[in-house]
Amino acid sequence: MSDANLDPKTAFPVPVADADTQPFWDGVARGELLIQRCGSCGAWLWQPRPICPRGQTPGPTWTRVSGDGRVASWVVMRPPTLPAYADKVPFVVLLVELDEGVRLLGYLVDGDGAMLETDGAAEGVAIGRRVAVRYHDQGGTRLPSFTLV
Amino acid sequence: MAAPLRVAKHRQACVVGIHALPFSKNIGMTERHSGGLAILGALADAGLTVRDLDGMFRYVWEGTTEMEMARILGVPNLRAFGEVDYGGGAGCPTVTHAALAIENHLADVVVTWRARNRGSGVRPWSQQYMATGQDQFERPYHVARPVDGMAFHTRVWIEKYGWTPEVLGRVAVTQREHARKNPAAMMQKPLTMDDYLAARMICDPLRLFDCCLETDGALAMVLTSAERARDLGVTPVYVHGFAMGSGPQMTAMTFFYDEVLGKTPNAWVAPELWKRTGLTPRDIDVCQFYDAFTPQIPIAFEEFGFCAEGESPAYMADGKNPPYNTSGGGISEAYVHGFNLLVEGVRQVRGTSTSQAENVRNVLVTSGNVVPTGALVYSKDPW
Repeated sequence: MSDANLDPKTAFPVPVADADTQPFWDGVARGELLIQRCGSCGAWLWQPRPICPRGQTPGPTWTRVSGDGRVASWVVMRPPTLPAYADKVPFVVLLVELDEGVRLLGYLVDGDGAMLETDGAAEGVAIGRRVAVRYHDQGGTRLPSFTLV
Repeated sequence: MAAPLRVAKHRQACVVGIHALPFSKNIGMTERHSGGLAILGALADAGLTVRDLDGMFRYVWEGTTEMEMARILGVPNLRAFGEVDYGGGAGCPTVTHAALAIENHLADVVVTWRARNRGSGVRPWSQQYMATGQDQFERPYHVARPVDGMAFHTRVWIEKYGWTPEVLGRVAVTQREHARKNPAAMMQKPLTMDDYLAARMICDPLRLFDCCLETDGALAMVLTSAERARDLGVTPVYVHGFAMGSGPQMTAMTFFYDEVLGKTPNAWVAPELWKRTGLTPRDIDVCQFYDAFTPQIPIAFEEFGFCAEGESPAYMADGKNPPYNTSGGGISEAYVHGFNLLVEGVRQVRGTSTSQAENVRNVLVTSGNVVPTGALVYSKDPW
């Protein structure tokens, strides 16, 4: 798919998988959060990669995780960078540290995966708050996101 | 048979020429045009010509390659050339490569430059829909601008060390005061703390005046050997030492997925720099800290060891810090991926800054700090 196939007035950025990342997005499509784990040293790895950087063992194993974690950092998006975001701001993006130790990004969503129009104050968003994974549909792309628990 | 040159002693590099075209929102010419003029200006400042030039290094993000620029200018032969990746992190490493080429006799007169039409050009993220590689896990969440990555880092310092908005506001106000003494600076209006606090959020916790400018600018610098400089009749600014670093698990602008959170690559660059130069923060008279965003200043004072971790707000509020970003920096002079900081550092050693510090012996310059980066020290005296 090229940029030319997208309507810039309504399109969101689209993740473009490659052979090293496709299993992650396939898992997300099924509602499963898969993180790579080294079969040799047991390290959890993010972002997806072909070789464990701890001991250089190739071929880490895609492993389903609970998606539970805590807020490691967070920001509030205000001016939209693309027209499609115009009716969504303000919204919170979380950097979540999963209980396995790796950190990944996700929107702050409600229990059903819907984005919250908020600056995080009403919800008391703060570093250390516990979260659980949910899945947010963004223009046909399913994105792992997180709800406060 | 002549002795092979590889046994020659290292010789020190120094900056002998600088030049900046007027900064603006629309420079009205291509980057290859403004870059070429900046290089010619820097050569003239050094009393040299294109015929003397035999080395060129650039940022990978510089749109004009060394070969295209050499063709445009008519350089007879480049004996040394190369590039350093990314934007803001590439400044000091590019000068480092130039200095290394001189130290090792690869070339005698080396130019580096940065020409960027970002004031009149588009914001890159306004046209990017296909997110590949690192971006596929960031851009779909609206984490696309440099400010987004920096805002996540800033929140960590805010919640860990109790930073108030005034910690960053002080940086913005200080740099605006410097800019107002510098006729070349883009921002000449006064900025108060109230103005700073009242400005809109760009990526909360970062406000408008935490962010650098959007500039059309072109700057260049000429380096040569200390020996050659003596014949030029200019004040040489010696490249005392330098260091580069990426830290572990680098993802440009984000750098927060692995064990490390609450550090930037400068935490790896700083000890290397002090080890290589034999200097300490107490030896530094002026700092030119990379400033795409205000939080990079207090973080730099901590990571380069001017104060302890977590203590930069008190250290800066008490005025214990050396002067920093004396031209107004990226926040209030111009944003050209830090090249104006490299040039202002030279002015401080020459004694020609519009906010000149007293008795300057050593100037610390750093580059972007959540990307692969580097730092260097300019000195008034040779090794």
